[in-house]
Amino acid sequence: MSRVVVSGLGVVSPYGSGTKTFWAGLAAGACAIRPITLIDTEGFRSRVAAEVPADAMAGLGVSPRRARADRLGLAAAREALADAGLGPADRAEAALVIGAVGGGMLEGEAWYWEETRTARPSPRIKALRSILPYTHAETIGWRLGIGGPKETVVMACASGAASIALAADLVREGVVPLALAGGVDALTRICFMGFNVLKLLDPDPCRPFDRDRKGMSIGEAAAFVVLEDAERCRARGAREIAKLLGAGISTDAHHVTSPHPEGEGMARAMTLALAAAGVDSRAVDYVNAHGTGTLQNDRTEALAIARVLGAGRVPISSTKSLVGHTMAAAGSLEAVASILALHHGLIPPTANLREVDPEIPFDCVPNIARPAPIEVALTNSFGFGGQNVSLIFGR
Amino acid sequence: MSAPRRVVVTGMGTVSAAGIGGRDVVRALLARRDSALRPLRSFDTATLPSHLAGEVDDEALDALFDRDAARRLSRICRLTVAACRLAVEDARVDAGPTLGLVVGTEFGDFRSSGEFATGFLKRGPSGLSPMLFPGTVMNAMSAAASIAIGVKGPAVTVNQGTVAGEVALARGAALVACGHAEAVLAGGVDELCGPVYQRLAHELGVLSPMRRPDGRRDGVEGCRPYAPDHNGPVLGEGATFVVLEDGEVASARGATILAELRAARWGNIPVAPYAAPVGRRDPRSVLRASLVEARLPTAALGSCWGSGHGDPALDDWELALLRADLAERPNLLPPRSTAALVGQHGGVGALSAAAASLDLGAGPALVHGLARGGCRVALVLASPTGR
Repeated sequence: MSRVVVSGLGVVSPYGSGTKTFWAGLAAGACAIRPITLIDTEGFRSRVAAEVPADAMAGLGVSPRRARADRLGLAAAREALADAGLGPADRAEAALVIGAVGGGMLEGEAWYWEETRTARPSPRIKALRSILPYTHAETIGWRLGIGGPKETVVMACASGAASIALAADLVREGVVPLALAGGVDALTRICFMGFNVLKLLDPDPCRPFDRDRKGMSIGEAAAFVVLEDAERCRARGAREIAKLLGAGISTDAHHVTSPHPEGEGMARAMTLALAAAGVDSRAVDYVNAHGTGTLQNDRTEALAIARVLGAGRVPISSTKSLVGHTMAAAGSLEAVASILALHHGLIPPTANLREVDPEIPFDCVPNIARPAPIEVALTNSFGFGGQNVSLIFGR
Repeated sequence: MSAPRRVVVTGMGTVSAAGIGGRDVVRALLARRDSALRPLRSFDTATLPSHLAGEVDDEALDALFDRDAARRLSRICRLTVAACRLAVEDARVDAGPTLGLVVGTEFGDFRSSGEFATGFLKRGPSGLSPMLFPGTVMNAMSAAASIAIGVKGPAVTVNQGTVAGEVALARGAALVACGHAEAVLAGGVDELCGPVYQRLAHELGVLSPMRRPDGRRDGVEGCRPYAPDHNGPVLGEGATFVVLEDGEVASARGATILAELRAARWGNIPVAPYAAPVGRRDPRSVLRASLVEARLPTAALGSCWGSGHGDPALDDWELALLRADLAERPNLLPPRSTAALVGQHGGVGALSAAAASLDLGAGPALVHGLARGGCRVALVLASPTGR
């Protein structure tokens, strides 16, 4: 079996376009959660989110006629391939695994809203051709000439992390020498309304791990990594940004929207990832937590981390406090954040954290990024349907 | 993929217009000559040009659930749970952390998304249902099935047009081969999405009788894959799942091994979304790669199943690719298609694989899939004694 390394990164985030912009925002501890401009929020409890700024969207170099999520995905995928220095021949043998949930729903909703409210056929019907999640892979695969296995994975908020875990299998087993993997999601009305009606959104920017937290803040992004066979990466003289040491995937089989109360599935995903990585739990230096800011998730996740790594033993932070919960992109965005934390020796902070919940027995790196020698980082992603994915990266 | 573990088929469950059950129902399907496509009953199609579909009988489906479960689960979740339960019973496999699940689907729980949005459009924020929201995420079916059955290994949902079931099987095989699970329920599901989708499909011109480039529709409505008069797909609904298992584990527990999945590969021919360019060849053919992996010469193949569902451009492209890759076995073409029997939906690829697993008398079977946009899949199934 091959060792898998990360040789390219690409991001479009609420800070703007590019991996450097993303890291600059994280390192500065800048919260990008603001009043929503993309959709009508009248009558809802929470009206904030982390949107990709309009000027960044305009500068992506992707036609504005495409669905917003496709634009985010194409720009991030292009950056990752360029970062890895991959040409057309490399792309022809690469796998493409994309985590997606909303697809082109933002534009599909605009069509449905218009038809329903006017009771007349809308010319926006063409938007439906991009409404399904797999259209990101169709668009990216075609535009970037990717000729290996093409797959769209929908695992709710764990989709982005799952795309990396599943793509790594294809590289590790020698099916392909490299893979482009990551998640994509744009803001949608359904997502915004759904989490509002479940009362899971904080009216203010979210405060993960805080004693007075009131829920999460949604966001939008795309983040990709290039995974490559380690020997191939070295042989072509490419930069090895990090090692993907291991991944664990588990399912709660408990409840559609609530995690297992003891965090059993979460703990199992972390334990599986550690076993796959061949890493002792004491070797983990930093955890990029799922850390949504909901009462239930943060306590349950803390319980699971404590069970696997030991209470208080490792610093944990939630970058969702900075860029929101970017749904299908969250897992890959946080994988990139973890890789950059390893690379720079700096832990991104948990923003808006005033007083840590006493039931969360960890140093949650409040508000200011902290220098730290990190050799091994673990990142968690969980989702509706009891989906749990943990990834472990090393220097 | 180059599997360090042998992957075998130990059970199957299916829910379609042609019947509900395990391997006996699939076997009966193999012998069936007539199509289960009928005029739609669940909604009025009088103003539409297409009227046929492969509908699952509601009474037969509901009979599989108690009243509480029937109320809690959306229809597509009931289809999924029913087929998964039948497959688990057929394979007599244990649930828990060693069991995984891969659900292939094209549309997911489209109805719940529509109902959720309609609630808001009719009554504003107070019209939104918290019960419906989880169904708007496409992994709703995998969530329902994992809870109902106790799947605690990886539960993956794969979204793909036309070949969702085939990709799900390939991914399921990879999960077993990589050691993520000892057994995986892999298959696909879709439901008829209702009158709104049916109208949209016609406006987009994607159902039989399909609209030609000049805007006209001609020919008799029907699903006729690879036939000279094919003029578009007819939609079906249902779910089919097979149990893929580590061969050593299956043997150790005394399971009946129905077939061996010798190779499962998928790839991409990079063409524009929804394109089906009949002249485009595939130099990186997953079909040829799968035969190499299975260590089988083309001449050894005994049957070929395709994903053809009557879409003229896609049928013709698939046939052209198969002719190029199976030049030594032209008599295997045109391939067999289950879409003609039960209607096109995310479960037909798994249904073809299930049927192929039970019909290996003539030799190993190739289950091939091709979607508009270039996603291509090849599964090679062989008799468990053939290695």
